[in-house]
Order: sequence, then structure tokens, then C-alpha cells
Amino acid sequence: MKRRIKAYLPFTINELKRQMAYKGAFYLFILVKMFGAFINYYLWMAIYGSTNQNTLGGLTQGEMVIYIFMAYLTGTIVTVSVSNWVSEDVVQGTVAMNLIKPIDYRMSLISRASGDMIYQFLVPSVFIWIGLEIYRAAVPGLPPFSAEKVLFYLVSTVLSFLIYVLFDFCFGMIAFFTTYIFGLMMVKQALIAFLTGQLIPISFFPEAVQRVFDFLPFSSMVYTPVMIYLGKYTGNKLFFMLLRQAAWVVLLYLFGSLIWRKVTKRLVILGG
Amino acid sequence: MIEVSHVTKDFVMPKKYPGLRGAIKGLFSNEKTVKRAVDDISFQIGQGEIVGYIGSNGAGKSTTIKIMTGILSPSDGTCFVAGIDPNRRRKENAQNIGVVFGQRTQLWWDLPLSESFTILKEIYNVSDQAYREQMEFLNQVLELSAFFDKPVRTLSLGQRMRADLGAALLHNPKVLYLDEPTIGLDLVVKDNIRRAIREINEKYKTTVVLTTHDIGDIEELCSRIIIIDEGKKIYDGSLEALKDTYGTKRTLSLEVKQIQKASGFSPAEILGVREEECITELDFENSLLKITFDGHKLQAPQILSTVMNEIEITDIQLKETELAEIVKEIYRHGTEGE
Repeated sequence: MKRRIKAYLPFTINELKRQMAYKGAFYLFILVKMFGAFINYYLWMAIYGSTNQNTLGGLTQGEMVIYIFMAYLTGTIVTVSVSNWVSEDVVQGTVAMNLIKPIDYRMSLISRASGDMIYQFLVPSVFIWIGLEIYRAAVPGLPPFSAEKVLFYLVSTVLSFLIYVLFDFCFGMIAFFTTYIFGLMMVKQALIAFLTGQLIPISFFPEAVQRVFDFLPFSSMVYTPVMIYLGKYTGNKLFFMLLRQAAWVVLLYLFGSLIWRKVTKRLVILGG
Repeated sequence: MIEVSHVTKDFVMPKKYPGLRGAIKGLFSNEKTVKRAVDDISFQIGQGEIVGYIGSNGAGKSTTIKIMTGILSPSDGTCFVAGIDPNRRRKENAQNIGVVFGQRTQLWWDLPLSESFTILKEIYNVSDQAYREQMEFLNQVLELSAFFDKPVRTLSLGQRMRADLGAALLHNPKVLYLDEPTIGLDLVVKDNIRRAIREINEKYKTTVVLTTHDIGDIEELCSRIIIIDEGKKIYDGSLEALKDTYGTKRTLSLEVKQIQKASGFSPAEILGVREEECITELDFENSLLKITFDGHKLQAPQILSTVMNEIEITDIQLKETELAEIVKEIYRHGTEGE
């Protein structure tokens, strides 16, 4: 097993190096995304300002601020577009070069995605997080900093990452049948922003819709870790949520293996 | 080492229609066309053999290679490489093989070449000791050290090909697949690559399967060749046997003093053979008399003495049919046979 990890480690490190090589694009990307988060922020502030209720969807105004930025941050760390890489590999035919090596294609993608995740976490996310912690300390009425919550948040985020990547791998498999999945990827992104709670906290949806979401993996991708961070889940509920995330990891892993086996049976390598 | 028996590969493609109307029609039709890329091919390759696998474009060479490497699964038939079914146990098989696709690279484009080798060392689980020894050997035959620290994207095609060959050999594979390894290279680099392949084959008894359009590769490297056309195997045997069967035509080129004297001269008549077994051509501009004859029926001195009895000669040249000609001939026949 140790040797297997050693074989995949280079993919992680390589991706880290690659990210550092394209710094300009990366910071621009952060800026654009931050812009979105701030629009979201002002929108919610206006909503809170125009109502005389203290809490909306179970969140106070202060909690909502944390929610918005934490959801943005978690979304950035977690949503590494593996399907994009798969589609690139399919279009350029480089998938063949991966298949001649004694490695698992999915594992190599996950390792590569880990590099991306680590970089996103280290470079923009940590700073935003520190900013949020200062905000939390400055605004009265918010729960105090808790190392335990942060720890659970981190565990939950890693699970979220795995859920997203495994899901996106399955999604990327479509590229083997249709070659181009750009359009579908746009649809997926819009749906993900909505269903994971990045746009609107899931607690705002009607009860019936929330029941449906319970049976989909998406709420486990962003909503769960953010709620853990906010301290909305405690005790048994917290464990149940983590367990549900773990169950999704296993389920999507098995599903991915199944699809991969089907795909390799009818693989067509483009370009000779 | 490699056993391929009755392998067939079909590709199923959605049917495409020509033009804009066709494109719209294609949106609604569910028709599929089946293309048979490889059709019932069987062969066995022993350890240490260098086999040339040739055929015209689209004949199914690359598809066969991809089946043997485990990238594609055959629609029918079985394939074993070093006792392993590459499709069922792809990763185990990958440990035994090295692959160079001339038109692609397995190196990390953005990283220095040295990094690619370190990554491959981890991927193939090569021990430090073996890595050092192998690198020393590869350096010697491929001369990698000159560009070892440069990013792969800055390498010239020749350097990149040498690097790719080195990368495929790092884990000392039992079988080496080379899919057009000399495509687009200049003569010196081609020669280097060929020498390296030969040295590796001699040192490790590595089995080499080589597809190429370069006849030089085959003449210099391969002891055996397999020719396929439209997915079917049409020849499997030694290079000499191929030349013997197909390349029996030899051409005697004679420069003569007075070309006018040669008109109407027919050695076929004099030697008592049929016209097509001894064809005479005249080139008045260069005062050349070309006689193409069947090597099994006639000997060059026979013809020469017949000619010299009649005409004064200033220069002689004897040409064997080149392999390129033979292969061209075979491809043509292969397609005509349809």
C-alpha cells in the first residue's frame, strides 16, 4: 500500500507545481470568484436589512456572513474539476498515455486533484479564513472560536472533496461517449452551485425539497461542512452527517468503478 | 512472449451523413456503422525478437498495438503478453511493457525531463540501484544528459523522441512497443534511435514490436516482419523470405556508347525466355539500356554477355528491387484483392 501511495504522490506534487507556474491566471480567478461572493454578501445584507426578523432560514445576520464566505471558500477547495481533465484527455487522446502505466486512472486524477485542493487551501483560503475569524471575534453574538469545530470542519471538507471528485469522475465519463462535454459542464456547474448550498443555504428550501436533497450527494459537498463549522450540528447529528458523507464516498467510489469498467470496454482512442 | 490469437476489433460509430442536411439528419438517426479495424489476426512473437509490424495508413497496426498494451479490449479472440491478458490485468501488464507512441509523449510537458524520470521511477517502483544503473546505460546509448534539465516542451523532436524511448525503458520492460518511433526525425537521429533499439535488444533480450512507415527501420532492425492490410494479416515471415518471394526482379542498367544500335535489341529472344521475364527499356537521353529480369530465371552475367556480344558498354549498374518497392506492391495487391 505504501508503494502505491508513493506512485501517486508525484501527481499531487506535479499539480502543485503547475498551479504555481500559472500564478497570474490563478489570482485573477480568485478575484472574479471573490466578486461573486461579495455580490452574494450585499444581497443578503439587503435582505436582512429589509426584514424585522432576526433569523432567516435559521441563520442570524452574523452567521449568514460567515456562511456566505465559508461556503465560497469550501466550494473553491472542494470543486476541483476532474471532469475537465478527463474531457481534455479524451479529446487529445492522452488517456492512452495514462493507460500504458501501471496506475489506476481514477487514482491518478484524485491525486492530481489533491494537489489542486492543497494549493487552493493554502493560498487564498487560509487568508479568507483568518479574516472571517477576526470578524467572528469582533461581532458580538457569534459563537466563539472552537478548535473542535475546526477539526470536524476539516474532516468534513476532506470527505466533501472526495465526494465531489468521485462524482465528477463519473460525470467526466460522459466525455468518453460524447467527446465534448463543455455544455454539460456549464449545466453541471449551475446545478452544483444551487444544490450544494453555495448560492442559498439549503435550510431556505421548503421541507419537501430538503427531504429530496437528503438523498442526493450534493448537500454533502458544501452545506454539511459549513454547517459543522457554524456549530449547527452537534453530538449524534454531527456523527450522522459525517457518516452520511462517508457513505457517499463509498457509494460514488463503487459507482465510478462500475462505469470505468464499462467505459474501458468500449474505449475509442482519438487521433490514431 | 506475445501470443495473439484470432483477435478481432470492431469499432461502432454513429452513422454520419454528408453536408448540413446530413448533419441535421444525424441528430435524429440512431444508425450505427461497424468498422472492423482488426480482422482475425493471430501471431506469436518469441523473446528477444524484433518484429516489424507494417501496413498502410489505417490498416489496423495501432489498434493491434493498443490491444497488446491493454488500452483497448479486443471484440473477439485472445491476447497474452508474458502470460498476462493485458485487457483483464492492465496494470500488471503495464509493468512488463514499455511503449513509445511516436506522435505523443508520455513525459510531463511542463516539467524538466529529469522530473519526468523521477516520477516514472516512482510509478514503476524502480529501486534506487536499478534506477542508477539503467540511467547510466540509457545516457550512454541515448545521450540524454545534454538536455536532462530542460523542460520537455523546449526539447527538439529528436531529443524528445530519445527521451520518450528512455522513459519507456526505465523500468526495463520485457516487451517494447514502438509505434512509429522515427516519424519526422532527421537521418542522424534516426540512426541513433535505431542503434539504441538494437543495443537494448542485445543487452536485455527485450522483445520489440515496431510499427513504421520507414523502410530503413525495418531493413536495419527487423529479422521478421508482419504485414497487415485492412485488418487482415497478409504476410508473416523473415525479411529475406519476403525479398525472395516478391523481390525477384533485378534491374541491369547499362550505359552504352551508341544507343541507336540497341534499338530493336531483345535479349529475351536471344536467351529464349518469355518477354515479361526480361524487359528491355531504352533511355536515349542518357544512353542507357535498362534490362529488368527475373532473378530466379536468369543470371546477370548471362544477360551481360549477350549484350556485350552486340553492343559496346561503358558502365554497368545492377539494382535489386528495394524493399520499399516490394511493400508498395503488396499494399497495392492487398487492396486490389478486395
